[in-house]
Amino acid sequence: MSIPTEHILILASLLFSLGALGFLLRRNVIVVLASVELMLNAANLTFLAGSRAHSTSDALSMEGPVFSLFVILVAACEAAVGLALVIAFYRQKRTVDLEAATELKG
Amino acid sequence: MTFQSTQDAFDAAFSTAALPAVLPAVILSVGALLMLLIEIVPGARASRPIVVLATLVGALFANFTQLSDPAGPVLDGIYASTPETAIWGMLFAAGALLAWVYSIGYYGEKARPFLAEHDMLFLSAPAGMTLMVCSQDLLMFFVGLELLSLPLYARAAFRRERHDSVEAGLKYFLLGAFAAATYLFGASLLYLATGTISVMELKMMMGDTITTTPVFLAGAGLLVAGIFFKISVFPFHMWVPDVYEGSPTPVTTLMATGTKAAAFGFLIPISFLLPTEATGLIAAIALLTMAAGNLGALVQTNIKRMLAYSGVAHAGTILLVIAGYLASGRDDAIGEQALHAALFYLAAYLFTSTGSFGLLAMLERDGEDLTTMRGIRGLARRRPAVAAAMTLFMLSLGGIPATGGFFGKWFVFTVLVQEGMYGVAILGALMSVVALGYYLRVIVNLWMEPLDEADTGRVAPVTLPAGIATAVCALGVLVLGLMPGWFLDLLG
Repeated sequence: MSIPTEHILILASLLFSLGALGFLLRRNVIVVLASVELMLNAANLTFLAGSRAHSTSDALSMEGPVFSLFVILVAACEAAVGLALVIAFYRQKRTVDLEAATELKG
Repeated sequence: MTFQSTQDAFDAAFSTAALPAVLPAVILSVGALLMLLIEIVPGARASRPIVVLATLVGALFANFTQLSDPAGPVLDGIYASTPETAIWGMLFAAGALLAWVYSIGYYGEKARPFLAEHDMLFLSAPAGMTLMVCSQDLLMFFVGLELLSLPLYARAAFRRERHDSVEAGLKYFLLGAFAAATYLFGASLLYLATGTISVMELKMMMGDTITTTPVFLAGAGLLVAGIFFKISVFPFHMWVPDVYEGSPTPVTTLMATGTKAAAFGFLIPISFLLPTEATGLIAAIALLTMAAGNLGALVQTNIKRMLAYSGVAHAGTILLVIAGYLASGRDDAIGEQALHAALFYLAAYLFTSTGSFGLLAMLERDGEDLTTMRGIRGLARRRPAVAAAMTLFMLSLGGIPATGGFFGKWFVFTVLVQEGMYGVAILGALMSVVALGYYLRVIVNLWMEPLDEADTGRVAPVTLPAGIATAVCALGVLVLGLMPGWFLDLLG
């Protein structure tokens, strides 16, 4: 018996909300980055669920899986740039806490 | 996207008819990759400026050829070249070129060994912007968005010995990643609801019962919210002043003009995804954005930060055309008019904003205190040409007649008045008057305040590249302001 699409959608929405909350509430940059990954994976899950829902026995709906692959690829690029920025930030502040980002305000 | 066979798919992907359409993006990408090679080939480093210039001028020309003879949709409809995308593309290439010229001599000793990397990141930004406006499906736009954003994150933090630069890069990155994730979840929900990611197919579905389901509406909302982050619309505008202030000024220039233009260039054509009931909401968001930008700008003493807030206010003004489009019941003719209004507005904004940020970049070299309201006091006496150009840019940002900024506002408010949104148009016009307050303050400081005698000798002469770039920006502002019909004729 296959899992209904609604259940996958609910799981993905929960993952996305969890990630968004983590992004907004946590102050540790590494945790914030992990929260974004959670949001991206919610999108991946939904893409795959969509592909399953719209595929027939003769034709696969390929946009979903392909989109997921691109998301995974870009997430890797984002991690590379993001972690480099975190390292540069850590070198200056000796912490990865966002509370230390106080140079710019007003 | 259904193919009879794999062979058909390959034929569609490698059709030579697609070449003229994708040429601008290809030229920019090749130029960016060449930058990496230049780094490792001994003796090639000196050719760096030539490659940058050739790439950007080549992209400008490749877009120009698309203007009279656009290729239309290519690559199985995922990419389209129209007169509008040709003009967007020319603007991106011209904006990048001007911003690059202003970056000559801007960076200090510590950043200089990395200028090839800098230029590589620089060239991938217009490539991403071109992909964004030409994209006809949600995946292509996302790829373009990331091609633009990832290099910009790195470039915002380019002066990595400086605390404010690294902090700007980190903030820009975190919010950009959040925006991208929001966009992606929206796109995935739209795909789940409809089974397609093609803009054209989504447009054909509008009116079906499928487009009123909660999944579709949530998807459309999240997708648009993700793009709202990029164009710095209320309540997602908080990051803008910090990031613009901390980034190196030539980078800020591109962030303020190109990113915004590219995001609008995609957002307006896909705003049909929003239900017509959202008209009031979009109008309210646009007006709140204008209010937040203007009120923020009024209290600034740092001009770079003031221009950042002013950019927020301008984004709000352009957003009004989407409200006008939705009010028309998503009428295609109004949609095209809205797109043209935004195109004109952003063309004028690109020249104005590039010129004013560029002048700040030039003044910064003489000491960063020169980019505050206090620092520019009496600058007209020492550098009348710089002060005159800055005055022209401020007048255009304020929307004074005979400048490009005036007609930009005029076309936007025309769309609103046509749709009977008089209240919104009046409120918007009032906000523009408030904005004059801080633009005029710059002009007053430039011309009417006495020179601070203690500063004598600090001001270096204007460099030739910066002078040429400023002249081009001023010419652009005046041509758009005095002969707007010429620009509109380009659109046919």
